Amino acid sequence: MSAAPVETAAATRQINDDLLRPLLNTSWRFWALVAVLGGGVLMGFCAWLYQLYHGIGVWGIAWPVFWAFGITNFVFWIGISHAGTLISAILRLVDAGWRRPVTRCAEAITAFALMIGAVFPIIHLGRPWLAFWLFPYPSERGIWPNFRSPLAWDFFAINTYLTGSLLFLFLPMIPDFALVRDKTTGWRRRVYGVLSLGWEGTPRQWHRLESAMGIMAVAIIPVAVSVHTIVSFDFSMSPTPMWHSTMFGPYFVAGAIFSGIAALIIAMAALRKFLHLEAYLQPIHFENLGKLLLTMSLLWGYFVFAERLTTWYGNDVAEITVLNVTQRGSFAPLYWTMVVCNLVVPFTILSIGRLRTITGCVIASFGVVVGMWLERFLIIVPSLGHKFLPYSFGEYRPTPVEIMLLVATFCAMMLLYVLFAKLVPIISIWELKAGGYHAIEAARLPETPLANVNL
Amino acid sequence: MPHKWGLAVDLDACTGCGACVTACHAENNIPTVGPDQAARGRAMHWIRIERYWEGEFPDVRLRFRPVMCQQCDNAPCEPVCPTYASHHTEEGLNAQVYNRCIGTRYCANACPYNVRFFEFFNPVWEKPLHLQLNPDVSVREVGVMEKCTFCVQRINAGKIQAKAEARELADGDIKPACAQSCPSKALVFGDASDPDSAVSKLRRSSRGAGLLEDLGTRPNVTYFPRHTEA
Amino acid sequence: MKAVYALYDDPNAALRAVNGLRAAGIADRDIAVMTADPIEGHALMAREAHTWMPWVAACGAVVGLVLAVGMLLWGELAWRLDTGGMPVVAWWPNLIIMFELTMLSAILTTVGTLFVTAGIPSRREKLYDAEIADGKILVGVKDPPDTSIASLQQALLAGGGRVKRV
Repeated sequence: MSAAPVETAAATRQINDDLLRPLLNTSWRFWALVAVLGGGVLMGFCAWLYQLYHGIGVWGIAWPVFWAFGITNFVFWIGISHAGTLISAILRLVDAGWRRPVTRCAEAITAFALMIGAVFPIIHLGRPWLAFWLFPYPSERGIWPNFRSPLAWDFFAINTYLTGSLLFLFLPMIPDFALVRDKTTGWRRRVYGVLSLGWEGTPRQWHRLESAMGIMAVAIIPVAVSVHTIVSFDFSMSPTPMWHSTMFGPYFVAGAIFSGIAALIIAMAALRKFLHLEAYLQPIHFENLGKLLLTMSLLWGYFVFAERLTTWYGNDVAEITVLNVTQRGSFAPLYWTMVVCNLVVPFTILSIGRLRTITGCVIASFGVVVGMWLERFLIIVPSLGHKFLPYSFGEYRPTPVEIMLLVATFCAMMLLYVLFAKLVPIISIWELKAGGYHAIEAARLPETPLANVNL
Repeated sequence: MPHKWGLAVDLDACTGCGACVTACHAENNIPTVGPDQAARGRAMHWIRIERYWEGEFPDVRLRFRPVMCQQCDNAPCEPVCPTYASHHTEEGLNAQVYNRCIGTRYCANACPYNVRFFEFFNPVWEKPLHLQLNPDVSVREVGVMEKCTFCVQRINAGKIQAKAEARELADGDIKPACAQSCPSKALVFGDASDPDSAVSKLRRSSRGAGLLEDLGTRPNVTYFPRHTEA
Repeated sequence: MKAVYALYDDPNAALRAVNGLRAAGIADRDIAVMTADPIEGHALMAREAHTWMPWVAACGAVVGLVLAVGMLLWGELAWRLDTGGMPVVAWWPNLIIMFELTMLSAILTTVGTLFVTAGIPSRREKLYDAEIADGKILVGVKDPPDTSIASLQQALLAGGGRVKRV
């Protein structure tokens, strides 16, 4: 608070201008991107209507592989959602100064990835029009969901996490909506006026907002951990070879955070480039997240090694069959691609300081996103195809409908993100200001990394 | 005392003829899916004859094992169902309530025997098969899981018949389609809670064993391994 | 609405104005302060920092837990269906749902408490100035007694701000 008022005012104006620019100026490129991504989503929607009309037989699933792409997408996207709110909550609690430009774009990933992931348990149903039977409501027959089913746990966990994440994303947007209200005219002023809920910025409001965010951060961390643990329970509760494992909970949570950080790095690099936020999303942020990604890569490798070693050493006939079919059999190409993408590439790039640049982090992150999708696929399909009785072993090949749905999920994620960045300041303006005017001014100088500034 | 239904399978007697599979299809309105879908793994044989080759050429032997729902007491398929479509009846059957099934297919993934089947499309019966649908068994629609019921419609009919005739249900009154059609009498069905029933005697034999018993599923189908080397 | 207020560039100046208003006999609750960011740790924001929100959230959590137990027992005992030989009221799985609903209730209670105590959403006519968005700090008094307006202006000017009247 020692900065001179004139500098402070200049910095405030600069921040306002930089971060409101994407909301106010729209080029044809934005509409082109929205059209392309919207087309992708529409394609997925048509594929789903086709599936709804004909039956889920248009997917490649068959006896005995009853889950494949659909559940892979579900686990993958729920996993991606673990970067945002979880990381943002942890960084808020430890009051890491460098979090300030990162939190909102991370939390938005959580919200959208969760929405996309949560679609899959519904559309993969044989009779999706009855999905409401998963809801706990007192029906006229008095029959409730079976609370012993991991799918019922999923329902509660994902609902809690989605509700919490949306509120966690929305609350700190209120002051920024008020800012947009004050800085714009016309329809924007009216719409953002409603969204800002009549925010004034009194000390009382600021204190309550920060208290609420503190409590939410404490509450959302265990919820995030529980969500992916429960997703892992979908598998580990069954006596299926290589599913029935006590380490699935932490293994899935680690994998989820791993893939989530990768998604966050990619999203931040795109925002930085296309919205010209070089002054806000700085190399230091990528450096820090890159180190976190490296840690998670090693943790993931450790879990995979522990899982594989235990299975190999135990030499149970059913489990070793699944192990061999992934390591050496028909799934080996996918398996070793996964190892390269999740371990070799990130480790090589991120452990060498000179390569831990923005480009390096983005390359490693693309590897991780691909690798983690494969990981989920390789957990689900080989086990189902190789359960106990060799006569009942089975194969799986995806169909175009499943591939279209997969592509549509990525389009949907990007579309939601692009629209969000167009409608909401993607960096929390007030939190940036609260980080100290002086710090932000200093951070504009390229030789002064933000993390070195005492925020 | 409630009944507890059990089945004994004598692998010495099974010739692998497949009569049980055909009878089961006819009895339970199981649709046939055609060669293309069957090749993709969409065939729905509630009972199947597993065929294994043993030994090295030329000294090879062919082994058959009929596998149907094992009606486990500790069934992994049941608790994973979020809608109670899959649950345990008082007579020890793994019931599948088609109307309650929303098609998560979780039960099939949890089943170590792979004896649960899914209606990937709405079923069709080519003429004249549509005329032979069993009125005692509901026809399932697309998106529903289904499986061997131990011919629960025959169990209920047998109980009603016995009640109408004001007598106790006798051993052998009830025969599922597979047991009825087995020419070598490899399948023996009955009430395991009645110590004098044929199936109870077989279940007490030290030769009998459950399939994948070490998983702790406590199956109610007892297999008698071959002891002839023919 | 009638109000007299001033805009300041610097929190220290705003604090001087607030102190001036206090000296002029205005109670703290009648002195409006509005900022574009929370200015953490500054004396200007020191008031109304205390909140019972964590305790309210904890109560919400307990309510959620109780409701969860109630729902689970109701649902499980309504149809005593056996699945996989598990007890009808199976506490291991129940713990998971109890946890999720406890947390959900805590989160919703927190947000509810925030809305109530921060007075949002609100549409009532308010003392406000869009220049706050540019980093200005507003200090003022809403509906001041006519007799004291001159002295209030004096106090606000002493802080070094631009005085406005509505």
